[in-house]
Amino acid sequence: MKIGLVSPYSFDVPGGVQFHIRDLAEYLIQHGHEASVLAPADEGTDLPRYVVPAGRAVPIRYNGSTARLLFGPVAAAKVGRWLDEGDFDVVHIHEPLAPSLSLLALWAATRPVVATFHTSNVRSRVMQAAYPLLRPSLEKIHGRIAVSEDARRTVTTHIGGDAVVIPNGVDTAAFARASKDPRWSGAPGRPTIVFLGRIDEPRKGLPVLSAAMPAILDAVPGARLLVVGPGSAEAARARLSEPVLAATEFLGALSDEDKASALASADLYIAPHTGGESFGIVLVEAMAAGAPVLASDLAAFQRVLDGGRTGMAGALFANESPHDLAARAVELLGDPTRLHALSELGRERARVFDWAVVAKEILAVYDTVAGGSRQREVTRLRPGADRRRGGEHT
Amino acid sequence: MTLISWIVVAVCVLLVLAWYLSYSAARLDRLHAKVEGALSALDAHVVRRAEASLELANSGAIDPASGFLLVAAASESLERVNERTFEADLLEGQHFAGRETVESALTEVLHAALPVEVSRDLEAQGGPGAAALERVREAGLRVQLARRFHNEAVKEVQRVRSKRVVTIFRLAGYADLPRTVEFDDTLPGT
Repeated sequence: MKIGLVSPYSFDVPGGVQFHIRDLAEYLIQHGHEASVLAPADEGTDLPRYVVPAGRAVPIRYNGSTARLLFGPVAAAKVGRWLDEGDFDVVHIHEPLAPSLSLLALWAATRPVVATFHTSNVRSRVMQAAYPLLRPSLEKIHGRIAVSEDARRTVTTHIGGDAVVIPNGVDTAAFARASKDPRWSGAPGRPTIVFLGRIDEPRKGLPVLSAAMPAILDAVPGARLLVVGPGSAEAARARLSEPVLAATEFLGALSDEDKASALASADLYIAPHTGGESFGIVLVEAMAAGAPVLASDLAAFQRVLDGGRTGMAGALFANESPHDLAARAVELLGDPTRLHALSELGRERARVFDWAVVAKEILAVYDTVAGGSRQREVTRLRPGADRRRGGEHT
Repeated sequence: MTLISWIVVAVCVLLVLAWYLSYSAARLDRLHAKVEGALSALDAHVVRRAEASLELANSGAIDPASGFLLVAAASESLERVNERTFEADLLEGQHFAGRETVESALTEVLHAALPVEVSRDLEAQGGPGAAALERVREAGLRVQLARRFHNEAVKEVQRVRSKRVVTIFRLAGYADLPRTVEFDDTLPGT
């Protein structure tokens, strides 16, 4: 299948949408499809060979912050040429409402269009005002994908209609391969608890965990807390009491392999995030590595953990409550059977988010929309087929 | 104003109106084409699902009673397709020809024949049973997607066709108003 992918954001800067497009394009190429990515990029930037640079993105104020976008007649002409030359079976546009290449591609597309909505952060007043302008273009989308329930809610409230939820892919195999590291493994009476995330960003929840630690140490005096993540440890240390400080090790930012083996070694992974998480990739990574998960009860986290019929693949505590966090953690650390069960359930659950599974679902969407238009040529051969539609207006 | 300028204004108004009408008609045509494409995709994947179910029933990997039920439901679904093909056009009038109940029945039988434990065993065994199960699932997922995308497209057509400009100028011609397709398409054994 020939697939054209459109990125609204420049490949010069890292970002979730760009990573998603890159991984998807590489998966498609590996599996024998043709993929071309159209993205804003400066001339002369080092790009993967499947990326077609569309020109330099311009910094402009949009949606409350400065975004680097690409628009205007020159960009529109470039998009048109790329679409013509590519002769794609499916055009897959990411963030179709971003006023950049995505919107231009949607406007110019004549082939079946699949659109993926990533963000759950849309200004409703802007959407209302721009709606009449955008509606005819939006009608060109044959299949809509949302990467999370939150993104899907944005689609249903601001655009109307529905979208299929296909989560972001995670390379779970890399985490599942990770082996235990004796430095970070627990021993009887000395279990290890892992925290992951920026130390100086309060919404990652280190303050909540710090406040819960005294109670945890009272019940499990040998417990060790491993803090993995960038940021200044000094400020965090200053907040800790003497016994907690003695039980805490700041490991700093680790390489991907070390991060995975820290998770694989952990007796318990705690995600005390207080908000602002729309997806929770970090939980998927922990589960894939086999770490039992205890997370705050954010809606996004609950959805990642909830395996439906197989049950919750992690334990939850009341968000921002050190008291509840400590109670749950002590309960879990005293119950090795439950920890083992959570680890197994987590590994099982993480598979749903693996790229192989996710990409298969995206391919099924391609099949469905491309199949629809291929099929049309076949049905046209049947007698009487050409009077199917009213047709007098064509 | 002179007569000439009145005529110029009138011609301009007519030109704008004509442009707007042809634009609206083209937009509606595109939406109708999308519904048609989506419906034929749904049709194709429904057929594939029934064929994969037959294959699974005949693979010898599931018990004969479940197999028999599956053959009955799947052939019912395939018969309805064949029956329609002999008429002039399967998609005439853009509807699903009342096949919803048959497809819901097939889904129900698939659920009954493939509870979680049975699907796990089939996967563990490998061989033709596992391959057929995989195909049933793949087709099932595509049926789900196709039906969802079709219904989205139908709602868009319904909305545009209720607009006054479309009804007054009969831009939809004699095309039937497409209808959403509702049946149970949940995936078995998950």
